[in-house]
This record gives sequence, structure tokens and C-alpha cells, in this order.
Amino acid sequence: MKKYIYSSFLAIAAATALTGCDDVFSPAPENNLPLDFLEQNAHYAENMLGVVYTYIPNNGGYPFSEVATDDAVSNDAGNGYRRMAEGLWTASNNPTNRWENCRSAIQYCNIFLANVDKVQWTKDEVANALFRERFIAEARALRAIHLFYLLQAHAGVDAQGNLLGLPIVTEPEGAGSNFNLPRNTYVQCLQAIEEDIAAAMEVLPAKWGASSYDDIRAKHPGITEGQLERVYGSRFTGRVCGIILDGYLGRLALMSASPAFEASGRTWEQAADQNAKIIDFVGGIYALDQKGANWYCDPNIKQLGEAEMPAEVLWRSGKGDSNSLEKDNFPPTLYGNGRINPTQNLVDAFPMANGYPINHELSDYSAQNPYADRDPRLAMYILYNGATAGHNNSVIKTNADGTTNDALNKITTSTRTGYYLKKLLRQDVNCDPNNNTQQSHYTARMRMTEFFLNYAEAANEAWGPTGTGSHDYSAYDIIREIRIRAGLGFENGDAYLKSAKNDKDLMREIIRNERRLELCFEGFRFYDLRRWKAELNEPANGMNITAGVFTPFQVETRNYGAHMFYGPIPYSEILKFSELQQNAGW
Amino acid sequence: MEKIHKIISPALAATALFFGAVPATVAQDEAVLDTLGNELQLAFRSATPEQVFGGVSQVNVVQLDKKSYTNYSLANMQSLVAGYNGSLWDMGEALVLVDGVPRDANNIIPTEIETITFLKGAQAVVLYGSTASKGAILISTKRGRSTGLQVTVRGNATLNVPKAYPKYLGAAEYMTLYNEARLNDGLEKAFTPEDIYNYASGNNPFRYPDINFFSSQYLRKNTQRYEGQAEFTGGGKYATFYALVGLYHGNDLINFGEGKNNGTTRLNVRGNIDLRLNDFVTGWVNTSATFYDNRSDLANYWSNSATMRPTNPGASPLVPLIPISFIEPNDENSWILVNNTRYLIDGQYLLGGTQQYPTNPFAAMYAAGYSKWTSRQMQFDAGVRIGLDAVLPGLRFVGRGAVDYNTSYSTSINNTYATYQASWTNYAGADMINTITKFGQDLSTGTQNIGGSSERQTLAFSGQFDYTQRFNDVHGVEANLVAHGYKRTISGQYHRNTNASLAMRAAYNYDQRYYAEFNGAINHSAKLAPGHRNGFSPVGSIGWRISQEDFLKDSPVVDELRVNATYGTILQDIDIDGYYLYDNKYTADGDWWGWNDGNGGKQTFVSRQGANPDLTFVKRREFNMGIDASLWNGALKAQAEFFTMNIDGLPVRATNIYPSYMGTYYPNSSFIPWINYNRQRRTGGTLSVTGTQSFGDLKLQLGLNAMYVKAKNTRWSENVEYDWLRSEGAEAGAMRGYHCLGFFQSKEEIAQSAVINNNTKPGDLKYQDMNGDGIIDSRDQVIIGRWGNPWTMGFNFTAQYKGFTLYAAGSGNVGGTSLMNNQWAWVYGDGKYSEIVRGRWTPETANTATYPRLTTQGGDLNFVTSDFWTFKSDAFYLNQVQLTYTLPASIFADKFIKGVDVYVNGNDLLTCRAKRQYCETNVGSLPQNRSYNLGVKINF
Repeated sequence: MKKYIYSSFLAIAAATALTGCDDVFSPAPENNLPLDFLEQNAHYAENMLGVVYTYIPNNGGYPFSEVATDDAVSNDAGNGYRRMAEGLWTASNNPTNRWENCRSAIQYCNIFLANVDKVQWTKDEVANALFRERFIAEARALRAIHLFYLLQAHAGVDAQGNLLGLPIVTEPEGAGSNFNLPRNTYVQCLQAIEEDIAAAMEVLPAKWGASSYDDIRAKHPGITEGQLERVYGSRFTGRVCGIILDGYLGRLALMSASPAFEASGRTWEQAADQNAKIIDFVGGIYALDQKGANWYCDPNIKQLGEAEMPAEVLWRSGKGDSNSLEKDNFPPTLYGNGRINPTQNLVDAFPMANGYPINHELSDYSAQNPYADRDPRLAMYILYNGATAGHNNSVIKTNADGTTNDALNKITTSTRTGYYLKKLLRQDVNCDPNNNTQQSHYTARMRMTEFFLNYAEAANEAWGPTGTGSHDYSAYDIIREIRIRAGLGFENGDAYLKSAKNDKDLMREIIRNERRLELCFEGFRFYDLRRWKAELNEPANGMNITAGVFTPFQVETRNYGAHMFYGPIPYSEILKFSELQQNAGW
Repeated sequence: MEKIHKIISPALAATALFFGAVPATVAQDEAVLDTLGNELQLAFRSATPEQVFGGVSQVNVVQLDKKSYTNYSLANMQSLVAGYNGSLWDMGEALVLVDGVPRDANNIIPTEIETITFLKGAQAVVLYGSTASKGAILISTKRGRSTGLQVTVRGNATLNVPKAYPKYLGAAEYMTLYNEARLNDGLEKAFTPEDIYNYASGNNPFRYPDINFFSSQYLRKNTQRYEGQAEFTGGGKYATFYALVGLYHGNDLINFGEGKNNGTTRLNVRGNIDLRLNDFVTGWVNTSATFYDNRSDLANYWSNSATMRPTNPGASPLVPLIPISFIEPNDENSWILVNNTRYLIDGQYLLGGTQQYPTNPFAAMYAAGYSKWTSRQMQFDAGVRIGLDAVLPGLRFVGRGAVDYNTSYSTSINNTYATYQASWTNYAGADMINTITKFGQDLSTGTQNIGGSSERQTLAFSGQFDYTQRFNDVHGVEANLVAHGYKRTISGQYHRNTNASLAMRAAYNYDQRYYAEFNGAINHSAKLAPGHRNGFSPVGSIGWRISQEDFLKDSPVVDELRVNATYGTILQDIDIDGYYLYDNKYTADGDWWGWNDGNGGKQTFVSRQGANPDLTFVKRREFNMGIDASLWNGALKAQAEFFTMNIDGLPVRATNIYPSYMGTYYPNSSFIPWINYNRQRRTGGTLSVTGTQSFGDLKLQLGLNAMYVKAKNTRWSENVEYDWLRSEGAEAGAMRGYHCLGFFQSKEEIAQSAVINNNTKPGDLKYQDMNGDGIIDSRDQVIIGRWGNPWTMGFNFTAQYKGFTLYAAGSGNVGGTSLMNNQWAWVYGDGKYSEIVRGRWTPETANTATYPRLTTQGGDLNFVTSDFWTFKSDAFYLNQVQLTYTLPASIFADKFIKGVDVYVNGNDLLTCRAKRQYCETNVGSLPQNRSYNLGVKINF
């Protein structure tokens, strides 16, 4: 009898042993780490700051928010910006929403800052202290950058017209936190950004690498070459540094002085001064990169050194081989999906090569030969009927009676406006699925041209077209340089621009137009229109070419309400938190 | 008889040796071994029906199989079992156990099954622990009987006839209506009248194609399936056995290219042996092996059939085949292409393609290759029962263990292929091809690709002590103590699916009249935080067998009447979807980042989850009552159940409390913990009635059953502004959408109404603006129906007359809502135009339109969930009718053959419901079938 009892228990014991314990009695181990793991593992701490970098809006590419403006439409019915333009923009459906990502980034900055003192970066005591100081500065800088992006997308006004910012959070939040916080004012946010950036710029070099070593030596007497290289070396190029922070301050100052935020009390003069810092840093207005208007298709991108910035580019992403932009936007005969279609409105904004706008009496514009003698940037940025594109310079026919799938509205991947996008695309890419090739791309996060235009806009408002404030150059000087680079007015000395020398309003119009052209498809137009409080509801037009006759037509209307100069606070959060105030009208 | 033995014995001996059993000798001592017979199979025990109190139903499949042939173990069970409609008591996915081991219901065929038991009530499932908390289905395989060798052979031939194919418009009509859609969108027509005329004329389908996926050119009219099975059973005093060998093969509907070779073959072998070692030790060994092969083309034919239009707008239409006979003899360039192609179909066609569609399902069917999916399932379990009367009278030990292995993989030949586009001209009234353009390359690597390899291992064990004793003839005492668990490892999944609990049962009855029973389990869950891993699930039941009372004992009407009531709680972790959900999770394997070209490829250190060490089991707290009655000597049997249960503490991410920015999708990050929050209350009841009546040789039996379940969310994680959006307090299966007010008839009406977006035009659907903000968005969605049906019903009918048995099974459901939302019904953009669009809105048909205006743009306006698209899902199905003829036994007296059954049946014969055609038509997948089967069963 006992024998059987024994053997049966043995059987059970064997069965139990066979099944083991993992996930039955206790869970199989996972590679989950506690937060304090970063204290002994400095690279994990650094990789936590990496999260904050990945949260930077449009980090890996271009948003093409132009689709929600008068510059472009999309042939993709599901495109978020297209649906937004069609009237689907609400607090619960917001393609420009940055609330989650940027505020999460700030949470990571705060966690990092709360724990950074415990991290051992290196055994060298001096270098360890320098690293700590530098990482604190980097985290504060990134926190400021994210707050800037949040202001851009979510700052607004209450019913009384007071400017509202966001709740400023500087401590890590968790289970015990009070999440029901009221919004700080716009000005408080502005100050928080400036405070963080000021603190960061005390520590961070203007640029990584040797060019800043003298400044650092002055701050840290006795620092060794090795320590300089380790903590401030050029291999950190691409991470936040002083000049990038100056760039953000420039953007912030311009935004704050603009009509939509002028109640902040910030002046155009302050905006001009801040943006001039960047121009001065690179060597003044004559340092404008002559190839800066088409930096994206420079065949030498592949050969760029790992920390190398072309003169035009202040900050860029890492480069990589791809053809996804081209697959999205090439016309169908080049095996693309023809997604982003520039509008007739944008095409019309390009002046003639002689510098005159097409509706000017001296322009020599011909409505039945509209692409002749135009601003060279038109052919560079926009693929119009009869122009060439692709790796073997195929002629693209977008006329409505065209026989290929590139023709206007021929199939769902054809253009809806008569134009395809050319800017940002590399024409030496082949998208044929049987023979596709890739080329090197990078995203320019900050281009010099932007800051030239920022200065011009602010200086014109502050001191008029030719006023220079405390600087060596005026708005006119800047725009002249940009238009020379574009190839305008060679023969007549750009008479049209000259005519604006004493006309601030005309100058403003020219500056805004130059900004529209130079920065098109880089995500600026959407917010520029809003900070200018400009007309948001220009219908998006296209060009129908049938039997050689050019007939403009309306492709889409825009239906933005007056409150849409400012974005909404997410609807779900308004419901959750009683202290959180929605912007007026949303 | 002797002869048979001579034939069968060698095979049998081999089988017996294989299983290590003693050779069977014929003995008639039936009492020696357990027979499953008429006992109800329960968790870790079995009992006679009178001893069971509520929450259990059982089907005797051996009896059912005599009148109903199916090829899926749970087929048509709704017709027979109250409370089953795919799930039990509408609770969700039930645990399926085959011989006590978690196994797939589709890996066992009805012929192999003795009984199927449906455990519904808390008292019936609690011993199984967490994984059975939504009910359990126990499938028990046939056992050998010591009644001498029996051999049964059966053959089936099944004809599957597609019920319906979706009906689409032909090319010319499509083109006409697509033009209309373009005009509606303010675009110019895509097709000229001349184009449409050419397509309509049908003169040259190679130039003007009209692709019809469902044409007899591509598909067979029906598919066939052939099956053969042989069963062997027998045994003697020391061992009994049951064995089955089954094989079937079925072909596919597609009748061209690789599709012709599509098919499925399944071979399975099962062997069960029961052993009796001595007077107090018995044991069993069960084994099964299944070999399943499925060969398929690589064309995605069915999914393409829902999207590919008969022709397409654009520079050139897609044509499946290009006839080389239209190429001019002196067109050298084209002939070079023809001569160099690897795929010249029937010696006369090139594969068609265009720049837009360089690959397509027709070319792929010929040239892309094929894939073969192979699956093997091996199952083994064994157990031992040891009588311990020597230690304590009535005590017994049972131990069992199981090991199952599934492996599957696919092998494929993947070819790339070139396609060709013809450009046509017309010479003197005759169409000719003047140039051929080639896309892609013919490339056959000749290598076999192996992929989709997956393995699954299940290990299960249990050990239990059972005690049964009766004192003074009136005090019945039973007790069970069970330790059990299982672990399933699936390749590619790091964590196993596990279940472990220690279960106990104590039961007392007084004189088999008054019953009290306690079932309990200590559930263990490795998914919870240390210190929170064990929980106790107590369930208490009382029963009263009224028919045993003196006042009913001799009743001529009542044979059996008993009532029961149960209250208890079951803890479960199956709704806790993963491990370490209680923990603050940081990972060093976050999204990739880098700051420049040389310093990329680093992974972020990121939080994925906030901590909640108090995360605990989900609780099923239940009260149920039941009544069982048998009247007039079993002529009428009825069973009713009532239940109400709270499912409490369903885990959710605490997004209703935490700010949205505490969790983001990209980068993947979260600080939000899981909390036990949501609660549902399910209340319902079931009723089943079976009546039997004989009229001379005619014996009739009718069974009816019904279930009603109402489920309500009593607590729900949400933040909503308006009451109509609230899930808390609403039905659990509420269908939400817009309330449709008909079609917009004019621009003026649109200007005065709330719209979804500014593309709205007359002919679009108008919705109710619930919150009056002038915009139709998710905030205006109201409850427009109910997913699933509160009522489900089943019926079964048997008529026997001499050798003939007629059996019918049906089912039904009432009270739910269905939504028309497939690609056939929602046509927009580049969708394929179906017949439904003929009812579209146009200014002329404004008052009679049944469908929104056509559009080539997105579906935001009309093709969203609204009550325009709903219809009642009330339905009645006639699932099966079978006529069986059993040849008279007298024919076979003293013959080799003992009996022959011949049967014919039809399955899925009839559906009565609204939108029947729509519901019976699959879109984008293989069609639904009506099947007809002819079978013969021979007993030796």
C-alpha cells in the first residue's frame, strides 16, 4: 500500500519539477529595471535624457502641416491636416496636439533633474562634476524647448483676452501628485523658458568642440585638455548647445512680439536683437549660405562628417539613406503617391524673376504661360506641368487632359492641384519597386535662413525697412541678400524691393512672402499665419490645364473659426481637471 | 466472431504492446472499470445527475452521434445546451478541457467524444481556479469497454456549396457611377462615353476588361471533402482500449493556377487505454496525434476580391491576361518579351499588369508560388487511481499528468514575376497590340522558405484525495482535496500561460434529501505583486431534493424535483493581461535615439508603467439558483437557472485619473499604473425543456432552450461631459454611433445644420447634434443598439420510426443589433462598387434614395457608425437536418457485419433574419457554405 502512496507522490513531485516554477508560482524574470538603476549606470541616465530628445516635435521628419493652410492640399483623404482643414479640428481631434509628448518630455527632464545628483558619470571627480553640471544644463535646456513647443501649440486666451500658458511643472509627478493644476500665464511660461535657458547657457558651450574651449577654460581654470574633450568635445554636436538655445529664444521672442501674443509685452525690438545674435554668431548677413535654399538635395550629404553642419544648417538630425519622402510625394509615373500638392496660391506667391509679384503691372506675367520667367525657386520647389523630375529627368505632364496617371485628378494618387512637391525630395532617387534606390537625407531642425527672416520681420516692425537698431544691417539688407541668392531682380537691381525701402507695410508684405517661399513645406506656415492673425480661410486653389488653356479652380475651402489662432487644450484633460482652463472658443 | 479475431488480433496486439498493456482478454465483467456512461463529468470528479446541484449541462455525444454527424466538437451545441452560445452564460471565452487538460476544441472530432459537459455556475468551476472563471467545457473522450472487440468504420462525403458571393457592378455600370461620384466631388468625369461604350459592348475583354472574381472561369461551383474513420474498442478484465484513426481531405474553390492545388489534409490517431492493476489501483493512458497540412496559393485572392474593381480609372486598366494572338507578327520587340517570359499561360497569354498594379492576384495565382502550412499535435496524458480504503475507508488518491506538443510551420516557394501591359491600336476595325511594356522580373530562386514556425507545449498535472462515505445510512459525506496546475509555453511568447490552485470540496447530505456543499480554492497568481499572490475563492451551495420527501416520493407525476442555491466568489487573473503589471517598469530597451550620424542607435531608458502593488484578482461574485424537474417518467424534463454576478475589479490603465501626458504612444512611455477599477453586473437565466412522447413505433423528442443575459457596467473608467456618452450605468454591449436624421436635401439645409466637415453636400447623411455645438463629432454619439444578443435560443427535434431517425437542430437569437459596415456596404474613394450603390442619392431620387451620394473621397461623412446602417440581429437558423437509416439487425445475424447506418444531412440550411443576403455573404474572405453530407457507418 505504502509503496503506491509513495510512488504516486513521487509522480506528482516529478510532474511539478517538470513544470518548473516560472510563471506558475513566480513570474519569469523580465528585463525591467528600477529607476535608481541609473545611479550606477550613467549611460542609462543619459539615455533617459534621450527620451526627451525623441519627444522634440517633428524630430524625424517634416509634418507637412501646410496641408492645413493655403499652401498645399493632400490627395490622402485620411491625412489629419486635410481633415483639420475640412472642419474637423476640435479639442478632441487635434493633429497639432503636442500636449502629451512635450509634457511627458518635461516629466522626464524633471525626473532626470531630481536624480542627477546621485548619478556617477565618471570616476574622475573633476570630470564628474563637469558632467553633472553639463547634464543639468542640458535637461533644463530641453525642458525650456518643450515648453516653447507647448506654447506654440496650446497657448491661448481666456474669454477676457488674457494670454494663458500652461501649468509649469518642475518636479517629477507620480501617484501622490496633484494633477489638477491651473494654467500659468503666457508671460510666466515665457519667463520660465528664459530662466531655464539662461541657466543652461551659463554652462553649455555655444557650439560643441574646440571653438568653445577658450570660453570654458575661462569658466573652469585648470581644466585639462582631456576633460575638455570628454565633456565638451565635438562628438556632442547635434545635442543642445548655446547657439541652438539662442535660436529657440529667437523663435520665442518673434512669436511673443507677434500680433497674437503682443499682450505679453514683448517688443519687436527684443525679437530683432535676439535673432541678430545668431546672425552675428555666424558672421553677419554676408555669411548667408549661397546654397542654403536647396540644402536638401546637396549630393554631398552622404559625405557629411558625423559632426559636420553645412553653413546653412544650425541644427540637423542624423543623416540616413531613405526614399520614403520620395515614395510619398513623387508623381505616380515615378512610382510615388503624389501626396502633398502645392496650391495655385503658393505658386502665385512666387514673384517673377524680375522681382515683381505676378499681379504687379510691371511683372510681364502671362496667365497662359504662367511658369515662364518666374522666380527660380518655383521650379526648384514645385513640380509644375511640363517640368522634369526623377532620376532620368522625365517630363511630368499634369494637364487635366494628360494621358498618364500624373494628370490632374486622374487617379487617387494624382495631384489635386496640378502641382507636385519638389522641395525636400531628392530627384536622384528611383522609387520603381523593382529597382529602387535610396539617397541620404537629414532633417534641418534649424536653418540660418529662418533667423535672417526672423530678424527682418522684427526689425522692420521695430525700426522700419532700413532701420538697424544697434546692428549693422536692416530688414531691407537681409531681404536683399535672400532675394539675390534666389536669383531675383538681376537686371533691374530688384526695383520692386527698392520700392519698399520707405514703405513699412509693403516691406512687411514682402518679408512675409519671402518667409512663405523660403520656408515652405518646413512646417512654418501654419503657425506664422496664426501669430500674424492673418486670414486663415483662403480657399486652396489649383490649376486646370486643358487643351493648353490655363484655368484656376478651387480645390478646397478652409473653415477655421476666429478662435483658431490658438490651438486647444485636449478635451479629455479639460474633463478630468477642473482647474485646467480651455482656450476661448474651443 | 472467431474470424474477426484472427484478422484484428495482430493489429490489436501490436497496439497493446505499444501502450505497454497486457493483452486483452474478453471478459464481461463490466463493473470492474469505471464507465463514463450516464454520469455527469465535473471538476475532478463525476457524479450521478441527482447528486449535482446546478450550473451544469451535459451532452451525451455517443447518443448524439447516432443521429447527427458533424466535424467540429462543439458544432450545434447551442441547440442542445441552455446557456451556451459560443460562450457560457455570455461570460466570455470558456476554458476547454479535453480529458482534464487544456486543449483545443477543434483538435478533437465528435466521433472520439463520449460526453461534453458545460460547467457554468460558480460551484461547478471554482475548483479549476482562475482560468475556468468564465466557465469550462469538459470534453471526455471515449473509453474502451470490456464488452468484446468492436470495430466501427465510417465514411463521409461532403459537398460544400457557397451560399452567396457578393454582388458587384460590372465595368460599364461602375464607370458610369464612378463618373457620377467624380461629378459629386466637383471633379471631371474619369471615363468618356466612348470608353463606357467599349466596355459595355464586351467585344474585347483583353482591352476593356470587366474583372469578375466570382466567375466560373476562376472558381469551382462547390468543394468536396472526403473522410474516413475507423474505431476499435474492446478489452478485458485488466485493460480496455479505444482507438481511432481518421483521415480527411478537402479541396478549394479556386480553379486556376496554383489555386487548383490548394487543399487540406488531416490525419489523426487516438488511443485510450484503461488499466486495472489490482483491486485498488487503476490507471489510464490517453494519446492522440494529429497531422494537418494545408496548401495555399500566395495570391490573396479573396481579400483582393473585395477591393479590385472590374476596371480602374487611370492611364491603363489592369487586365489579368494579355493574349499574344493580338500581337502583330512583325512586332519583334514584343515577341522577344513573349519568348523570354517564364509564364506563358496556356501557351497563349502573358500575365497582365500596369505601373500602378505591377503585381495582382491573377498573376500571383499563376506565378507567385505557394505555401504549405503543416501542423502536428501530439497529446499524451496518464493517471492513476489508488484506493486507500486500507488507510481510511472511502479514501482514494488520483494523480494525473499530461504533456502536449503542437508544432507548426509553413514552407513556401516565393517567386517574383514580370507582368505586361499592352497598348492597343485599331487597324481597320480590328484591335491589335502595338507595344508591350514589361514590369518587374521573372525570378524563381528555387529555394524553399520556411517560416511561421511555432511551437506550443502544455504541461498539466493534478493530484487529489477523494473521500466518500456514508454514515448510519443517512449522513453522506464527501471531501476532495486537489492540487493542480498547468503551464503552456508558446514559442515567441516569453511568458507562459499558467494556472495553479489548491482546491477543496466538502459536501454533506442528509438522507440524499438535504444537501450542503462547500467548494473553495486557493488561487495563486504569479501576475500579482509578492504578498498579493494568493487569494481564496469560497463558494457555498445548498440543495433540496424535494422528490425524496415523503409527500412526493410516490407521486405518479413527479419523478425528480430538486432546487439549489449558490453564493460565492471566484478570484481570477485571466483578465489581468500580463505579468508585472503591478510594478514600476523602467526599461533600457526604449525607442532608438541618437544625436548625430555617429552617435545614433542608442536605446532610451524609459518608464513603461507606473506601480500599483495593490493590484489584485478580479472577482466574480455570484448568486445562482436552479431547479431541475423530471415529470411523468421522464416524458418532460426541465431545468431552469437564474444567476446574477458582479465582475469586480477589472484592471484598467488609470487614464481616468492620470493626465494624458503620463502615457504616450511614440516614444512608447507611460507612468500610468494598472488599477482594479471596472465593474460589470450580469444577470440572467436559462431554461431548457425536453419532452418525449411515443405513438406506437413513432418516438418523438423535442428539446427547447433559451437564455437571457443582461450585462451592465456598474463602474467604468471614463471622463465624459454628457450623460449619453457615459458607459457607467449603460449596457455592457452598447453600440454607439450617430443618430441619423436622413439625407441632407439641400445646401440651405446643410448651412443650417451641424455637419462633420465642410465637404458635406446634399445626399450626405444628416446626424443629430446632441450637444448643439454645431459640429458632429464623437461627443454626439449615442447608444444606437446592442452588440450581441440578450436572448439566445436553441431547439432540437428527433423523430424515430423503425430504422429511421430524423434529427433537426436549430438556434436563434433576439434583441441585438447588427451593423452594415463591410467593404461591400461602405463604398467610397477607390472602393469596389457593389449593387448597394444603385440606391444612391441623386437630386432626382432624393425621396427614394437608400444610399448616400457617391464620392471618390474619404468616408468621414457617411461611412461611420450610425443608426442608418443598423438592423436587428434577430435571427433563426436551421443548423442541421439529418436522416439516418439503421439497417435492421436481423439482416446481419451471425454475419461479419453487425450493423450499418446510412445517413444524409444538410447543414446551415436556412437562415431567417433581416438582411439575410447581406449576412450570408462574406466579403473579402472565403464564402459561407451550405453543406450536404452522405455518410455510412458500419459496425463489425
